[in-house]
Amino acid sequence: MSIFVESSDVLPLVDLEIALPVGSLQDPAGQEGLAQLTGHLMRRGPRGLSQERFEDRLASLGARMSVEVSMRSTRVRATVLRRNLEPLLALLADVVWQPALRGSDFSKLKRRAAAALTSRLDDDQALGAVCFREALFGEHPYGRTLSGDTDSLARIGIQQVKDFYDRNIAKGAFLVGVAGDVADTEVRSLIASHFPKARRAKKKRSDVPATRSRRGRHVVIVDKPERTQTQLLIGTLGARTRDRNLFPLLVSNTAFGGTFSGPLMQQVRGVRGWSYGAYSRLLHSTQRDAWYMSTAPAAEYSADCAALQLELLEHWVGGGTKNTDLRFAQRYLINSHCFDRDTASKRLEARLDLELLDIPRSYVEKYDQLVARVTKQQADEATRARISDKDLIIVVVATASEVASSFERLPGVRSVEIVPFDRT
Amino acid sequence: MAAQAPPFMGAPEVLIERLNRGVRKRNARWTFVRDHAFGDALTLRRFRLGNGLTVLTLVDRSAPTVSYHTWFRVGSRHERPGKTGLAHLFEHLMFSETRNHPHGDFDRLMERAGAEANAATWTDWTCYYENAPRDALPLLIELEADRMSNLVLRVPQVTSEKEVVANERKLRVDDDVEGRALEMLYDNAFRRHPYRWPTIGWMKDIRGFTVRDCKEFYRTHYAPSNATVVIAGDFNEQKALSHVQKHYGGLPASRAAEPPTPTAEPSQRAERVHQLTAPTPTEKLLLGYHAPSFSDPDTPALVIANEVLFGGTSSRLHRLFCLDEEVALSVRGSISPFIDPGLFEMWIFLREGKRKEDALALLDREIDRLASDGPSPLELEKTINQLELSFLHSMETAGGKAEQIGFYETVANDGAAVFDRLAAYRNVTADDVKRAVGKYLRPSLRTRVEILRKAS
Repeated sequence: MSIFVESSDVLPLVDLEIALPVGSLQDPAGQEGLAQLTGHLMRRGPRGLSQERFEDRLASLGARMSVEVSMRSTRVRATVLRRNLEPLLALLADVVWQPALRGSDFSKLKRRAAAALTSRLDDDQALGAVCFREALFGEHPYGRTLSGDTDSLARIGIQQVKDFYDRNIAKGAFLVGVAGDVADTEVRSLIASHFPKARRAKKKRSDVPATRSRRGRHVVIVDKPERTQTQLLIGTLGARTRDRNLFPLLVSNTAFGGTFSGPLMQQVRGVRGWSYGAYSRLLHSTQRDAWYMSTAPAAEYSADCAALQLELLEHWVGGGTKNTDLRFAQRYLINSHCFDRDTASKRLEARLDLELLDIPRSYVEKYDQLVARVTKQQADEATRARISDKDLIIVVVATASEVASSFERLPGVRSVEIVPFDRT
Repeated sequence: MAAQAPPFMGAPEVLIERLNRGVRKRNARWTFVRDHAFGDALTLRRFRLGNGLTVLTLVDRSAPTVSYHTWFRVGSRHERPGKTGLAHLFEHLMFSETRNHPHGDFDRLMERAGAEANAATWTDWTCYYENAPRDALPLLIELEADRMSNLVLRVPQVTSEKEVVANERKLRVDDDVEGRALEMLYDNAFRRHPYRWPTIGWMKDIRGFTVRDCKEFYRTHYAPSNATVVIAGDFNEQKALSHVQKHYGGLPASRAAEPPTPTAEPSQRAERVHQLTAPTPTEKLLLGYHAPSFSDPDTPALVIANEVLFGGTSSRLHRLFCLDEEVALSVRGSISPFIDPGLFEMWIFLREGKRKEDALALLDREIDRLASDGPSPLELEKTINQLELSFLHSMETAGGKAEQIGFYETVANDGAAVFDRLAAYRNVTADDVKRAVGKYLRPSLRTRVEILRKAS
């Protein structure tokens, strides 16, 4: 059985996780949101317990439980006071392998999911992020939202959820992780008595086709009234997890926009005061995921801020990273790495990620060496190979009438699309 | 907390004797005040430098990290009308140039060491903190001591940071429905007390600050005697105190008089209702009931009431509003943890087409029921266990421990009182909850903000 244990007696707490290699990439086309609905319906409790009694039971144990669905995994997580570990373990197993999946709960859950989509319209950052991925990845599965949209939710019934559960979870592979105040032998014995015999996932190299970027620079304005401030995302494709350029690019990106004292933050915020935050992020997955810069400038200078960011991007891609900045980024990444493992639960997550997301073991075990050995030449070549300053998606959440003309004038822009913020 | 290998710590009197040997300047001489048990395995020690700087140490070797917090007893309550937001702007300026380090050096040195450095300002305090690998502690001490007394305030930095703060205000308030509603709530719930203005400040005030305002604020509030330093994590206590002595020992105690005590808020006699129209897809209700201070003996009972009503998916109001009646997408409640009496805030995020009047009637009915019947034994058990769980989670990292200690020291005058609070929750009875709910959660004591949809 694949059980991962990180013991620590610092606090009388235990974190538990059942990790399943199934996520929104398994959503059938047109039924986006199915994996998430399935996970959330499981969270409503096991057979034989009404949702009310299930919630009371959890709370009285001093426990919390959540189901988090991502593109490639479903993670059922719980945390509990040490003294109540065994009853919580049994309850967790029932949630995953004996879920009630009641039709009445499903109807309510679906109405709740639709209400959450409406509520998201208040969140400009979330609107920008969703639109950015859609514009960058188009029809590719990476462009789908985990929660689906109004139309896709309407197409999902309880039977689809039950089928999805039977096909992907009931008899599917899983991993178990435990972190905290518990000994390895004790927890293995408890798991053996409450959990089914484990099944291992077959390693799949790639589950989706390669991502492709759209040629040229394209602006999408998410039009929302009365915006004094804008959310701005500028980005392109990034890297694959098993990309030889990944660590050189990680170091290079950290030097450019991964810290407070990097050139992106200093030029946007330090020198001009244009945005509270200014960072660049590198995401990776089995196929090339996104790389993007995010800022939040006032509407009156949003396009100026975008122009400045484009200039900084061109300078970084074309001119490379200064040696001093590269060494600084390496020291930052190595020295701050201790915060990725300062608690038992973080160490557990790292081990589960390795198994679940097909991350090479060396990325964790030899992290410091992989970062330290990146040369300026490798960093610059990786940046040029992976980050395009010509094929870019520029998303701005703003009041279109106030910013559209200035964004049209940005260098190299081929198209400007305006979408209403409440289109779904 | 469970037992762990006890870290080596000498007797504090011996430690102090060693540290003070040959030190003539009174400001640089240490006094050991006392120690407090911090759970079952750790000890919180309280020291004071001659210049009034309080230092609390908690050696905890569970991870190779250290957290360094500096809590100043200054927040937005110490401002005055026309100058609101100065404490928060100042927090930004503290990352600027000093006489010993040029602009940008602070962040660069911190990040190169692998440290996360940030700060927060609220009504009663300003906190600067770093979470760092253990070897970085001498650097943290040097840089924090330096900016406590050597900050350089010039026009370009103040101008640039005013623009950053103006943008932060747009992000968190002007373009954020919840931010605007909260600002409206406090502005109307309080008539005299400084809690009425927002910590980030009114935009007009932010735009108007001068270098002179900033220098005066620095002179008044930034001194060792107005600060508490908390060091938590894996460090050598003697070396750390020696570094503190070296870098802070030369600073004078205080440079200005104590700020005046804020005016007490007069009692509220009738409900106050205000409306906010915004481009939002759904209506919302925000209610604020006048609540006791963080240290008031009634507060633990109100915290239990908050958990019974709003605490997680098994709470009464989540069940009623979000699951059974499907009136709201979510509900939440909290009590402002302030030195002076604050507000018990309640949010109801209505679903499309649901009426705020119906939601309010449901809420009033449930509050009345809690005031008359109190919580059940099962609800008390759930609540205590959930609060214990939250407390333990807040103690997982060195940064979490330092934050709790610094907060309790600043707001409740005792950094070790975090454990007393958990004990106080355990002592709350159903009758205590009934009494507290009946006393504080009355419609006449509340201010209501109704957030309405603006027609598109």
